[in-house]
Formats: sequence, structure tokens, C-alpha cells
Amino acid sequence: MIQKDKDGFLLQLQQHRLIIYKICNAYCKNTSDRDDLAQEITYQLWRSFHHFNGSVKFSTWMYRVALNVAITFYRKTKTSEAIIQLGEPDTEIEDRKEDSAELEKNKNLLQQFINELKELDKALMILYLEEKTYSEISEILGVTETNVATRISRIKDKLKQRFLTVNN
Amino acid sequence: MEDITLKNLWKAQDEKLDRTMKANLFIIESMQKQKAQSKLNGLARLKLFAVILGILWSLFLGILIYGNQLQNIYFTVSTGMIMLITVAAVVAYIRHIALIKELDYSQSITTTQKKLARLQASTFSSRFILLQTPFYTTWFWSTEMIQASIIKFCLIAVPITILFTVVTIWLYKNLTPLKMHKKWVNYLLKNDPEQVPVIQAQKFLNEIEEFKTAS
Repeated sequence: MIQKDKDGFLLQLQQHRLIIYKICNAYCKNTSDRDDLAQEITYQLWRSFHHFNGSVKFSTWMYRVALNVAITFYRKTKTSEAIIQLGEPDTEIEDRKEDSAELEKNKNLLQQFINELKELDKALMILYLEEKTYSEISEILGVTETNVATRISRIKDKLKQRFLTVNN
Repeated sequence: MEDITLKNLWKAQDEKLDRTMKANLFIIESMQKQKAQSKLNGLARLKLFAVILGILWSLFLGILIYGNQLQNIYFTVSTGMIMLITVAAVVAYIRHIALIKELDYSQSITTTQKKLARLQASTFSSRFILLQTPFYTTWFWSTEMIQASIIKFCLIAVPITILFTVVTIWLYKNLTPLKMHKKWVNYLLKNDPEQVPVIQAQKFLNEIEEFKTAS
């Protein structure tokens, strides 16, 4: 049972903070936008928290709010954003020595490919990569499971093709 | 590249993100104290501004009608119609603001985004405001003016009003999302900075529909 007060909210926020970070990273290309979006998501989560009735998992509810806010935010700011060049490392995230160059390259490529997807496809792929079930994804997005499966398969094929093109 | 590799690559960013994202998520205190304004409320603020302007304009017109005391029927009818359409616009905008305030971000993505895009595209549904245009060509008419020069009136004033009426009705009928495929509608809307978000919203609505039906 989740406490419906400020402490309960902060606890949930702390436990699920990576959801916010990943969504911000996928929908924004610079630090200032990411911070703005993170705060906007937190604001909307807090605003909606008293409506949360436990009929779905907290993470499912959080994905809905966070993705809705991110898509709305993205649609408002995307015109001023520059496209990240292919293979360019994400300067906002420090490199770690222990990561191999190959892994680092592929992580950046995946991030870039995800960034380039349309708003709704991006949401779909984030949920897929987060290992949500088709049933959960359909609940969060409001589309049928068949639709989810078909779309994921198409996007995965595209991603694989792009990896092949870049790596060969 | 296998599924498992994609998911592992995605997971590999967790630690980095947690370490490098400095966003302060714990801003509840300041939200409560400063009543932080959501950055996504721009549309509501714009509509609120329009509502205030609309109310002030309606009041001004009301005062003019009251002051005229039915002395000039052309003035009373024209101004009355302009006021009526403005009041209807104010009501429509208040309804939009209520919809924005009631927007629930915890509904499914397609449901919420559809509502939002519809709201942004609502300029199309508010196009009835255009219908007041012909009345701006008749408010200054008077029986004295007509009697003084009936020919001038019939050759200049009446044709102007007819022209405005025809153009307004034509625009009202054609400025709809269904006519977006027509070049001139697209050209007209694309060159109006106020309409750009409306076009984007309309495109996004189409994308949502396509997303929901893809199989």
C-alpha cells in the first residue's frame, strides 16, 4: 500500500527516478531541457498523485504521466532542437574508462536511433526496452496488444538495419 | 543485433544516467510555496487572455448599444451581432480552458495526447468568430445616409457588404481540417504563425490515428 502523503510520494519518486531520467534523456537533447522536463514531470506527478488509486502498478501510472508530459513537452520544443550527428558521443554523459569503445559506440547509437523515432514510437520502444509486457505497454499507450506487437517488430527491424548499416 | 543486445545496451545507460542527471526531482516544497507554474500551461494562458479581451470588448459593445437606445437600427443590429458572436467565442474559450485544466496526464498516452492535440486544433472549431466580419461593414449605416444618396449606397456600401459576406461564408466553410489537403488552405495557414501549432496538432492527431490502427 502506497502512502498518499508527501513522504510516500518522495519515496516512490526516489525508487522510480530512473524512469524519469530515461524518458528525459530520450525526449531531450540538452541538459537544460532535460532538467526542465524532469521538473515538469515531477510537478505533474505530484499534481496527479492524489488521483492514483492503485488500480494499476505505480510504475505503470508513472510511465503514463511521464510519457504524456514528455511528448507534450517535446512537441513544444522540438522545432528549436538540432539533430545529433551520427556516432557523435553524448557530451552530457561522461565516459567511463571501463566501458569498451565498442559498447560505448553502440550505446550512443541506440540512444540516437531512439531519439530519432516519432514521439509515439519512441514511447513504445522505451517501454519495450524497459521490458514491460505487451499487456502493460498496451495499457500505458491505449492501443491493442496486437498493435503493440506489430509496431515493435517493425521498429526493431528498422533499428537492426540501421545498426548493420552503421557498423559495416 | 539481437533483442537481448538491444535491451542490454539500453540497461547499460542506467548507472550513467543515475550518476549524471542532476535534475532536482524533490522540488515539492518549492512547488507548494511558490505555486510553481507549469510550463505546459501556455495554451490556457493564451485562451485566458483572449477571454479577458473578449469580455472587455463585449462590455464596450454593450455600453454602445445601450447608449444608442435603438436610435439607429443598423447600428444596433450590427453591434448586437458582433457582441453575440464575441460572447459565444468567450464561452467556447472558457470551455477550452476548463478542458485544459481537467486534462488528466495519467490516462493512456493516446487518449491524453488526442485530447491535447484536439484542444490545440480547436482554432478550427472557433472559426465561427469570422462570421462577425460582415457586420463591421454595416454598423455605420443609417436611414439618413441611405436617403441622402441611394445610388452611392447601392453601388458602394451594399456590394462591399455582399463581398464580405460571401468571402466570410466561403472561408467559414473551407477553413476546416478536412480541407487541409487543399493547397490554398495549407498556404494560408502555414504563413500564419498563430496557425503553425494548429497544423502540427492536426498532423499529430493523424499520427495518433495511424498509430492506433497500424497492423
